[in-house]
Order: sequence, then structure tokens, then C-alpha cells
Amino acid sequence: MKKILISIVAIASIAVLPLAAQAQTSQTWNEKSAELTKVLETKGDPERGAAAFVPCQGCHRSDAMGKSSGAYPRLAGQHASVLLKQMTDIRSGLRNNPKMEEYVEDHLAKPENMADIAAYVSALPIVEDKVGRGPGTAIQAGKTLFERDCVQCHGNNGEGDAQKFYPMVAAQHYRYLLRELHYIRDGDRGNSNPDMVKVVKPYREADLEALADYMSSLPPPKK
Amino acid sequence: MKIAEFKSLSATPRGYRIGMTARLAALLLGFGMAGLAHAQDAQTTAATVCAACHGADGNSLAPMFPTLAGLQENYIVKQLNDFMSGKRKNDMMSPIAAQLKPEDVQPLAAYFSKQKRARGTSTNRMAASAGKVLYNQGNDETGVPACIGCHQPKGAGSEGASGLQNYTYPKLANQQIDYIKSQLKNFATGERSNDPNRFMRVTAKRMTDEEMEEVAQYLAGVGD
Ligand code: HEC
Ligand code: HEC
Ligand code: HEC
Ligand code: HEC
Repeated sequence: MKKILISIVAIASIAVLPLAAQAQTSQTWNEKSAELTKVLETKGDPERGAAAFVPCQGCHRSDAMGKSSGAYPRLAGQHASVLLKQMTDIRSGLRNNPKMEEYVEDHLAKPENMADIAAYVSALPIVEDKVGRGPGTAIQAGKTLFERDCVQCHGNNGEGDAQKFYPMVAAQHYRYLLRELHYIRDGDRGNSNPDMVKVVKPYREADLEALADYMSSLPPPKK
Repeated sequence: MKIAEFKSLSATPRGYRIGMTARLAALLLGFGMAGLAHAQDAQTTAATVCAACHGADGNSLAPMFPTLAGLQENYIVKQLNDFMSGKRKNDMMSPIAAQLKPEDVQPLAAYFSKQKRARGTSTNRMAASAGKVLYNQGNDETGVPACIGCHQPKGAGSEGASGLQNYTYPKLANQQIDYIKSQLKNFATGERSNDPNRFMRVTAKRMTDEEMEEVAQYLAGVGD
């Protein structure tokens, strides 16, 4: 009797576990952290944001265009909501970013600083010639994959969706996009949306390169 | 002047500082008695007290003493306050700061910030040109941010306004080579820890000794 009970419990928990785990990950993605909730409620002032952004310029550059080498992403013109989600995820360690983390631990502890920076940076123009492009040889292949698997979130022109925290991926540096796709596929970007991970998982190297080639070739979307 | 202070001054290791110590002791004695009650005394104090190390016009002639001429007023005020409160410590500068009264700080800062900074020279051209790259581009491999991001082109620095997120980024152009290196080392080890938000401690910790030398060489001869 006891044995039977144990096996019933065991079977039940095996059956339930994967579901529970899955529910938990998507819930973690959708659930706003306390810090994100707070900064989203804070009204940003772009003028103060320009001063608060100074410590970021050594890496992201004074025009927030990052580096065409892809070492540092373009932030200019990115949706404010996306900037805020990524900043809070980096601060909490949900998204792994050892180079940046130490600089924002104290500086961005003030919600005003984050809100101000997001207001300032999201309004900066995207300087097209500073975007690091890919080889340009796989744009068509990338477009096919993107239209099949990515447009529902990142939009037809790679414009993303501010309401849903989906980043603009058009006109981002090739090498940065490629690095992120690897992190997303291999589970190294802690905050990746689980539904995106599902579509990216089966991709081979050539697919990732094609997608990055395509996204980096897209012109800055009209707002 | 307290005995302990005297000791820490006399205990400075290098020989060429010892002759100065006697002169300093005399300076400090006079300084302590006269005090610095009036704002208009800033220039006199500079000439009689600070000049021994920093030069009368704030252009230092010795490698380990920082040039003060043309440093931002806000920044000098902050450093003097930090020396006075013990947030920043130095065997030579701390006893001097201990003699200052709070009302001396602003006039001295105003005086030195208005002096014209003399051009410096780098002593190693090759190192200086590598330093220029690091200053403007940083090191992407190791995550050293480009200094230009905070300290502005050619080490000009920028005046912080008041407010939540404004810091004063000190002028580095034409500063003494040895002084720049010593500060980078001190930030890296945490011996100097008065930088806001750990900005310089984090930055210097990521730098190699070679990079410190190079960037100091670049800044020393950067010109106007
Ligand atoms: C030492 C270099 C460094 C500094 C300083 C730095 N960052 Fe970053 N930042 C990075 C790197 C590297 C990445 C990309 C990490 C990766 O590859 O996943 C990044 C990514 C970001 C992202 C995410 C971008 C995206 O498209 O998802 C945001 C937002 C950001 N940084 C904002 C800031 C702000 C605001 C500051 C200043 C308060 C700052 N960073 C300072 C290095 C830095
Ligand atoms: C279910 C919605 C969704 C789908 C589908 C999706 N993404 Fe994403 N993507 C996101 C979200 C959300 C982020 C931001 C990461 C986070 O906060 O979870 C992101 C981030 C990214 C990033 C990093 C951008 C940056 O600035 O750091 C890249 C690159 C990317 N996605 C590419 C793709 C590609 C290529 C596809 C199709 C193969 C795809 N995504 C499909 C939602 C999605
Ligand atoms: C005995 C020599 C000596 C005298 C005299 C002296 N200082 Fe200094 N001062 C130093 C040294 C050495 C440093 C560098 C300390 C360090 O390495 O942290 C310094 C640093 C400073 C700094 C910080 C500079 C920077 O760039 O951060 C200021 C400001 C300063 N002194 C002001 C003064 C003033 C004002 C006086 C006169 C009242 C004065 N000093 C007298 C030796 C001296
Ligand atoms: C994130 C912003 C930031 C970056 C990047 C940065 N600095 Fe600084 N630095 C500061 C601040 C702020 C101070 C003033 C600290 C204080 O108030 O005591 C400072 C002070 C210094 C000092 C001391 C100056 C003096 O007069 O005592 C030196 C030297 C220095 N920085 C060199 C560098 C070099 C070299 C680099 C590039 C490798 C660099 N900094 C990058 C913010 C920065």
C-alpha cells in the first residue's frame, strides 16, 4: 500500500514537474521586477538624462551609437521601455553583463537616473553609417527566417514593440546581434524570452549569421 | 602642530623629500599660528604654504605633486573637504588640510582654478601614442571604458552642475606623469576611495601597469 502510494506520488510529480517549470519561466519573464515597476512609474527628464549618461559614454559612446565592432550595443533610438527592462535586468544579474555591472550598481540605484537616461537615449537619432554591418551575403536567407520566426515580436521592419518590451533589432551592430543570438540559443542570456528561445534553439551557426546579417542591414524604422 | 603629524612627514621614505620636510615644518608652524581667517588671504596662503609643493601659481614642478592650476573649482573643493574629513588620505597633504578651516576652502579653490595651466611634456612618445588610443577608445577586451567618455576630449574635464547625477570629472591635461600613475594605482588598490560610485576604482582595477604608464604619458603632453 505504502509502495503504491509512493509510486503514484512519483508519477504525479514527474508528470507535473515540466509543466510547473515551464510555467515558472514564462511567469518570470512576464512578471515585472519591483525595480522595473518603479522606474516605469518615474517620469524621465531628458536634460538630466544627458548628464546621467556621461558615465556610460566610455563604452556606449557620446552619441549612444555603441561601437561598430559590436563590443558595445547601440542604445540610441531604442524604446525607453526596453532600455529600462534591460538596465534593471543587468542590475539584478538576471542578464549577465560583467563589464557593465560594476558601473551601474551605485549610479543606477536611483530610479530617477534610469528614467532620465531612458528618456534621453531613446530620443537620440540613429546614425546609420555607424551601424556595423554583416558580410551582406546572407541577407535573403536571414529575411526568410526572420519573417517566419521573429516578426510576430520584433515586427516586419525589426522595429520591436515598446508596449511589450520587445527590442528594436533593426540597425543594430552585426557582431553584437550575432553574440546575443548565441547567448539566447545557448542559454547564456539569462533574461531571454522563453518563446524566443524555443524558436532560436534549433538554429545552426549559418542561420544565426544570416539573421544577424539581415537585421543589421535593416534601416532605422520610422517611429 | 601635533607630534604625530610631524612624524608622518619626516617618515616619508625618499631622500629628496627630507630637505623639504624641514622647510615644511617651518611653513606649517607659521601657517598654524596665522590661520587663514580671511578670504582675501587665499593668494597669500597659496604663495606661502601651497607653493612649496604645488607651485605658487599651482603649476607643480615636482613629479609627485599634482598641478592645481586650472583644475575645476568644484573638484578642488571636494578634494580639500575629503582630505579634511579623512575620506582621502596622504602623508604630505593630509597634515596641511588638517590646518585649513572650512571657510578657507572655497577661496583657495577659486584661486587655483583661475590660474593658467602650463603645458607639460611626455617623456616617451611611443607610450604616449598608445595612451592616446586607450584614452579615446578604451580596451574592449578587458572592459576599460574610454577615458574620453567621462574626462572629455584631450583630458579637458567637465564642470559638474548641481543635481542628482552630476559629478565633476577632473581636468587631466598636462598633469604630472607620476601623479597620474600614482592615482591610478591608488584607485586600483582602493587606497584612494573617494571617487563617486566607484567609477575610478572599477576603471583602474581593469588597467595594466603598462596602460597606466601610457595614458599618463599621453595626458602629460596633450597640449591645449
Ligand atoms: C564598461 C563598459 C560599459 C559601461 C560603462 C556601460 N555599459 Fe551598458 N553595456 C555594456 C556591454 C558590453 C553591453 C552588452 C552586453 C552583452 O554583450 O550582452 C551593454 C548593454 C547595455 C544595455 C542593453 C542594450 C540592449 O540592446 O539590450 C543597456 C540598456 C545599457 N548597456 C545601458 C547602459 C547605461 C545606461 C550605462 C551607464 C549608466 C552603461 N550601459 C554603461 C558595457 C557597458
Ligand atoms: C515571443 C517574442 C519574441 C520572439 C518570437 C523573438 N524574440 Fe527576440 N527578443 C524578445 C525579447 C522580449 C527580447 C529582449 C530580451 C528579454 O528581455 O527577454 C528579445 C531580444 C532579442 C535580441 C537581443 C536584442 C538586444 O538589443 O539585445 C535579438 C538579437 C533577438 N531578440 C532576435 C530574435 C530573432 C532573430 C528572432 C527570431 C528567430 C526572435 N528574436 C524572436 C522577444 C522575441
Ligand atoms: C608637503 C607638500 C604639500 C603642500 C605644502 C600642499 N600639498 Fe596639496 N598635495 C600634496 C600631495 C603629495 C598631493 C597628492 C596626494 C595624493 O597622492 O593623494 C596633494 C594633493 C592636493 C590636492 C588634490 C589634487 C587633485 O588633483 O586631486 C589639492 C586640491 C591640494 N593638494 C591643495 C593644496 C592646497 C590648497 C595647499 C595649501 C594650503 C596644499 N595643497 C599644500 C602635497 C602638498
Ligand atoms: C565613469 C566615468 C569615468 C571614467 C570612464 C574615467 N574616469 Fe577618471 N575620474 C572620474 C571621476 C568622477 C573622478 C574624480 C574622483 C573624485 O571626485 O575624487 C576621476 C578622477 C581621475 C583621476 C584623478 C585626478 C586627480 O587630479 O587626482 C585620474 C588620474 C583619472 N580619473 C584618470 C582616468 C583615466 C586614465 C581613465 C581612462 C582609463 C579614466 N579616468 C576614466 C570618472 C571617470
